[in-house]
Amino acid sequence: MNPQFNRRDFIKTIAAALPASFLGVPAAHASAKARVVVVGGGFGGAAAAKYIKAMAADVDVTVVERNPIYTSCPLSNDVISGHRAIEDLQIGYDALKRRGINVVIDTVMSIDPDKKRVALKVGQALDYDALLLSPGIDFDYDHVQGYSEEIANSTMPHAWKAGPQTLALRKRLQSMQDGGTFIISVPPGPFRCPPGPYERASHVASYFKERGMNKSKVLILDANDSFSKKGLFEQAWKLQYPGMIEWVSGAAGGKVTRVDAKNETAFTDFGDYKADVLNLIPPHRASVLARATGLANDKGWCPVNMLTMESSKQPNIWVVGDACVHGDLPVYPMPKSAHTAVTQAKVAAGAIVAKLSDLPPPNPYFVNTCYSITAPGWGFSVVHIYGTENGKLTYLKNAGGVSPINAPALALQRAQEAEYADGWLKNILADAFS
Amino acid sequence: MRKSRPALLIAVILAATPALADPNIEKLAQTCNNCHGTNGQSAGPNMPSIGGMPEGYLKKVMLEWKHGKRYAATMDRLIKGYSDAEIEALAAYYAKKSWVPAAQKVDPKLAKRGEEMAQNCVGCHGDTGAPPDDATPNLNGQWSPYLEMALLKCRDDLALMPHQTMRDIAKSMSEGEIKALAQYYASQN
Repeated sequence: MNPQFNRRDFIKTIAAALPASFLGVPAAHASAKARVVVVGGGFGGAAAAKYIKAMAADVDVTVVERNPIYTSCPLSNDVISGHRAIEDLQIGYDALKRRGINVVIDTVMSIDPDKKRVALKVGQALDYDALLLSPGIDFDYDHVQGYSEEIANSTMPHAWKAGPQTLALRKRLQSMQDGGTFIISVPPGPFRCPPGPYERASHVASYFKERGMNKSKVLILDANDSFSKKGLFEQAWKLQYPGMIEWVSGAAGGKVTRVDAKNETAFTDFGDYKADVLNLIPPHRASVLARATGLANDKGWCPVNMLTMESSKQPNIWVVGDACVHGDLPVYPMPKSAHTAVTQAKVAAGAIVAKLSDLPPPNPYFVNTCYSITAPGWGFSVVHIYGTENGKLTYLKNAGGVSPINAPALALQRAQEAEYADGWLKNILADAFS
Repeated sequence: MRKSRPALLIAVILAATPALADPNIEKLAQTCNNCHGTNGQSAGPNMPSIGGMPEGYLKKVMLEWKHGKRYAATMDRLIKGYSDAEIEALAAYYAKKSWVPAAQKVDPKLAKRGEEMAQNCVGCHGDTGAPPDDATPNLNGQWSPYLEMALLKCRDDLALMPHQTMRDIAKSMSEGEIKALAQYYASQN
């Protein structure tokens, strides 16, 4: 028998042996199922729904998601440079439906944690025993004067949520002439996909290089003083795009506080920068729904119990993905990546199934693997692994880390990881959505 | 939520459920699925399927990565996060899964040429690449891009690959021959 289904059998066994109230339903309604509602059908929500259903087939699982088709943010920089079709990043919900998961395409209007009820824009409200939120991020437009959601959706896409803006930014890149400047403005951390802005800079440079646009420049205006995989990016830039990419740290005046969208100009405390294409990535926070439900801290992120992903603010609500923070993990916070979201979703799924069965949560395993590609055949990664010690989550310093800078077999190392990035995308989409 | 459960009853049920896999290994293995596919059946041509591979092989390569005896682009950094006991349990877990050949297109002409190349391999890998023993991985129906990448690793003198025979054979082949060989094994369902 497939061991994956043992936990389900286990729960069935318990259900048969114990009073029905142990499954979270009153004895008088023994046929009623425990209900889990998942809000947000991205990597985190889809994976949570799938794994809850796989571990506990008797649980009624409903996913609420706004869009019928999901577009992966990871590897969407490939689309901007023309190295990948956007369809490669897209997947629907049919496979999850075939697993017996209800998928509702609708918008959540509000959540009532006391009544344990989710109100929808179109459909009937959903009652839950456990609620998993994987709501993703919203952008905080207030911190950059002159920029707004309207501008992002029309003339100046941030393309930090993959979809129409990704294609719009590609079009803007295609409109450039040789000798132009593409500016990427990086918000203060934490933000979704920590290496993403620097990977994007690489892809824009690869677009220039492949077209002989050698006088063109990429300027990164960064609110931060360092960045993910910095040494690896700088090595790649020196080898592949010498003199083409410039990085301005926060300390050197890289923090953009205002833009003139009409003139593609970014303003910092140290001066102004004129671009041909200005790609402003606004500061992030947890989605408005998560904040309105009282799940966020004063910084706009949702703290969770480190071992279960259950909200520190509201019982019976679990938060996974980019919206959450592990409160007590200040030194190596979990990166806001799809890999992290899927891993957190699996931890939450185990914790939810255990709680519905009135069992203690399983020991969690958290891991992050994140590939970046700077040019065709040149990729590298960072790996984070977390363990538990005395009931607390810890970052394992002796494992993980970034790809070796000076690997003996350097070309092989980078080529293999560029391939793995593609394999990773296909597997994580399949693992979460089918 | 309902904290009043009788602990003894749960304990009795636990004892009476012999088929229960170690729940922690189940949770750990779920993290592997992110890259290697649900149940270790890879959906990405550049990542190997691992579900259903021989336990001895899986255990050996993971321990070699962990202890710096075998080159890997990524896995060495990952596997260092786990105890030898966890690694052994993972090997046993994935070995119990079914080996499912990857659904992939094969160029029949290349595969035919690869079949001739495979004569160098039958001694250890058998006729079809189905594992003849516990120490040998499945090649039958493995993703061809991954097989090519694995052979390229063996050809690179700067990458620490411990199996001398594999190195010698991989180095004797051209990239075209490696492609053909990978197509042959990919076609063996």
